[in-house]
Amino acid sequence: MPVKTLLIARKTPYPLEDIEAVNLTMADPILSLCDAALSLEGNAGRVDILHGVTLSIDKGETVGLVGPSGSGKSSLLMLLGGLERATGGQVLALGQDLTTMSEDQLARFRRQHMGVVFQSFHLIPTMTALENVATPLELAGQRDAFERAEAELDAVGLGHRLGHYPSQMSGGEQQRVALARAAAPRPSILLADEPTGNLDETTGAQIMDLLLGLRDKYGSTLVLVTHSRELAARCDRVIRLRDGRIDLAPSKAAE
Amino acid sequence: MMMAWRIARRELRGGLQGFRIFLACLALGVAAIAAVGSVRQSIEEGLTREGAVILGGDAQMEFTYRFADPDERAHMDRIAEAVSEAVDFRSMATTNTPDGVDRALTQVRGVDAAYPLYGAVTLTPEMALPDALRAQDGLYGGVMQQVLIDRMGLAIGDRFRLGTQKFELRAALTVEPDGAAGGFSLGPRTIVSLEGLEGAGLLEPGTLFDTEYRLRLPQGADLAALEQQAEQLFRDQGMRWQDARNGAPGVQRFVERIGAFLVLVGLAGLAVGGVGISSAVRAYLEGKLATIATLKTLGATSNTIFAVYFLQIGLLTLLGLAIGLMLGALAPLALFPIISAQLPVPVAFSFYPAPLAEAALYGALTALIFTLLPLARTEQMRAASLFRDASGSAKLWPRPRYILVITGLVAGLAAAAIGFSGTTFLATWTIGGIIGALGLLAVAAWAIKALARRLAGMRALRGYTALRLAFGAVGGRSSEAASVVLSLGLGLSVLAAVGQIDANLRAAIQADLPDVAPSYFFVDIQTEQLQPFLDRVQGDAAVSRVDTAPMLRGIITQINGQPAREVAGNHWVLRGDRGVTYSTTAPPLEEVTQGQWWPDDYAGPPLMAFAAEEAAEIGITLGDEITVNILGRDITASVAALREVDFSNAGIGFVLTLNEGALAGAPHSHIATVYAEQEAEAAILRDVAGDAPNITAIRVRDALDRVADALRGIAAATSYGALATLITGFVVLIGAAAAGERSRVFEAAVLKTLGAVRGTVLASFAIRSAILGGAAGLVAMGAGALGGWAVMTFIMDTTYRFDPVSAFAIVIGGALATLIAGLAFALRPLAARAAHVLRARE
Repeated sequence: MPVKTLLIARKTPYPLEDIEAVNLTMADPILSLCDAALSLEGNAGRVDILHGVTLSIDKGETVGLVGPSGSGKSSLLMLLGGLERATGGQVLALGQDLTTMSEDQLARFRRQHMGVVFQSFHLIPTMTALENVATPLELAGQRDAFERAEAELDAVGLGHRLGHYPSQMSGGEQQRVALARAAAPRPSILLADEPTGNLDETTGAQIMDLLLGLRDKYGSTLVLVTHSRELAARCDRVIRLRDGRIDLAPSKAAE
Repeated sequence: MMMAWRIARRELRGGLQGFRIFLACLALGVAAIAAVGSVRQSIEEGLTREGAVILGGDAQMEFTYRFADPDERAHMDRIAEAVSEAVDFRSMATTNTPDGVDRALTQVRGVDAAYPLYGAVTLTPEMALPDALRAQDGLYGGVMQQVLIDRMGLAIGDRFRLGTQKFELRAALTVEPDGAAGGFSLGPRTIVSLEGLEGAGLLEPGTLFDTEYRLRLPQGADLAALEQQAEQLFRDQGMRWQDARNGAPGVQRFVERIGAFLVLVGLAGLAVGGVGISSAVRAYLEGKLATIATLKTLGATSNTIFAVYFLQIGLLTLLGLAIGLMLGALAPLALFPIISAQLPVPVAFSFYPAPLAEAALYGALTALIFTLLPLARTEQMRAASLFRDASGSAKLWPRPRYILVITGLVAGLAAAAIGFSGTTFLATWTIGGIIGALGLLAVAAWAIKALARRLAGMRALRGYTALRLAFGAVGGRSSEAASVVLSLGLGLSVLAAVGQIDANLRAAIQADLPDVAPSYFFVDIQTEQLQPFLDRVQGDAAVSRVDTAPMLRGIITQINGQPAREVAGNHWVLRGDRGVTYSTTAPPLEEVTQGQWWPDDYAGPPLMAFAAEEAAEIGITLGDEITVNILGRDITASVAALREVDFSNAGIGFVLTLNEGALAGAPHSHIATVYAEQEAEAAILRDVAGDAPNITAIRVRDALDRVADALRGIAAATSYGALATLITGFVVLIGAAAAGERSRVFEAAVLKTLGAVRGTVLASFAIRSAILGGAAGLVAMGAGALGGWAVMTFIMDTTYRFDPVSAFAIVIGGALATLIAGLAFALRPLAARAAHVLRARE
């Protein structure tokens, strides 16, 4: 089925309170962009970053976003996570139109359905590993936030470093904490922005194993931005971006 | 909320590093206000607790011109366990010297054997007061304050005269327990015995003197009831009651006023601190951008984030308040010996919760007002800033509800200040002044930035690298201009205003007034002495003008049959006794503003002319019936005219003028003013006082010096208040300089890489500091001049002249302060190795 028809058919959003009740069949796309555009006002004037991107990602799929620097990979990921607001077109996640939500509605949506991993970890420096992982659970009102956070850190092999602060950990360890934090709320969508970009090859591979392990464990949909060919090769599908558009030319990574 | 609290707690575990300036600003401002309030309360408490000592008795009944009559004495003996009689008046003390006669104005107190009822008189050399005053070999003794002894060149055992009576100086008066109750007096004190004064010819009918009867009352006497009783019985005979509940109303009023004023000056300090608080919070939150964005990514709502930081700032505010209150409460206790040595009244230093609560309220409101804006900005911080620098888009106005809340808080603060200070006028002006000055400074900061940006781009400046860089930094986005100009500028504005007002007042009193004021006031000229006096002064070629007027003293007791105080409250004209004169001839026509002066030969019922401005203030109009008690006799006169009286040139001016017939037969003396060349003053005094020793001469220059001294004290107190403001300003300045250090380190590194020598870099840093400080000083000078002009024009009713000396000092001081703060934080940037800095930045 052409993507566009599908999207128009699903255009009526559910009331936000009913988000949990949304029940998607295997065939439904969990994430979709329809003609999504993004331009930003910078110091040097208006910059168009994404031009009419249309794509859909199915539930459980692992998608790699690749492309040269400045091609719009990270921006596309931000649109999918509701961290950036599209200046044109539509962004649907779990059937909800992210472009119509307020900042706070987006925040609530994320804490229930999404986990995000960054290249530079973005752990909160004033919190221990355990507290960092527990924070999204606490925000979601989970009573057993700390127990679950501990289990999650155990799962990434950091059960012995619960009380350590980010500054006391290596890059690989910090990224494992970030993975645990993203996975702790068992999100249906995992977004990762160059998760191994700041790490050496061996550590990067370990992190990737963990990330894919978490995806399998919770049956999450995973979208990741990467420069690494090996990483891209481990994805179900690779989408190449060039100059803010999806590059349809055959790529090596997809072969 | 619990969630926000937990996150806030975790954030604060990192320590208070970013908050030293915040805490210092808040604590300093609160401490200054708490300290002033505590000292004020200590003095007032001391006045209350020691009321009986200060007053000289549990209660006092006072009369003017006369001693108590038998009825009054009988009443006193009935209610009191002991009564002490004293007489108080101004006179000339004279002594023979080899060159002739030396004279000095003194405030004489004649006392009986019971004096003092409370407290003790201390004399040097040590002796009992009765021994010092007793007659020995037919000569009564007397004691004088050391300053008077020095002025007259006397030694213990020398003789002096009061009127026609000789006394022997037996000791110097070191402590007079009831010395403060009298308030402002022109002459130092002399104490002699009442018997000794009897032959001096100074207590004749019509001579101006007060008698004071101090009462020792039984334990637990009901002062209010006794007051009411005495007032009922004797008020119409000119009796004035005072009791230990308020032993020194003049001092108390003064302390209240100056205390309220200093608290208001303290508010300016708190506002300066507010600027520092605001920029500290802004800097802290900017450092938290990543954390805030991460929390948003993890699903925290704007409200949660606002709560997280509101709670943190709230906790720090509480900490700052606690530190400030502790300092404010302890400072007066620590400075106890210094403060009490400066004050003529007993001070009960202790811990007083009321002024601390007032200071805490001001502090909390100020912290809220200045932190809400930066806190509101957290709502606009975007999660996307984790991916790119999105701070450029966060320069929007905060939501209207924050503006509303802030406006409400400012109104609350103003209302609190007006309520606590008890002076709506002063508080409104001060707070209006602070807000106005802040507005002016904000505009100035904006203008300086805009100007600097333009200058930085000017072709003419190419080649002057240091200057161009300095302008670029001042005009740039992360410029310190706003916080430096606001904080330093406000502190300097207060100081500049104080300087301008002080200089203007002193110029008016010491430079301008002597030109238009008389040289001497002569009082207590008896009617038969008037003609010889006039013969002497009018015949003198050096005398340009002589005015005389009959002089009595009276108290306004009723207005239209109602007790005057009930009609007009606590107006100064109704407080105590006033000079009253009579006149047969009408004044120049232009002086009479309303009504008709009585004809020269008028012989009808009593008529009165009232000073126009005071009549308007009290609400007296033509035809009103005013009852004045003169020498125990009530005279009710109807107001026939209102008259312009100029009190500003120190000439003869009476609030009340009656027709001659109304006062017929009342014994009275005359007052005279003599306008003479300064060189002739000494000779006139010698002749007049030599002929008539009962006449008291008040040299206007001496009196003005005393007034100027008093003003200098007030100006000094205000300057200390302004200094506290300035210290806070300096702390803010250091905070701004410290905050800018990181970017200067980077800038210095880049410049050095590009080949700039350290001198150029240092010059650039110095120039930008001096530009900002000088600009703050200039704006402060303008604001201070504006404030000075407003005070002189609207409150003092005189002309304002710009005082360049204090203004120049302010500008230079501002530039220097910023220069010091800026250069102190320029050393690290200069010393840092460029490669290290730049690599760390990557």
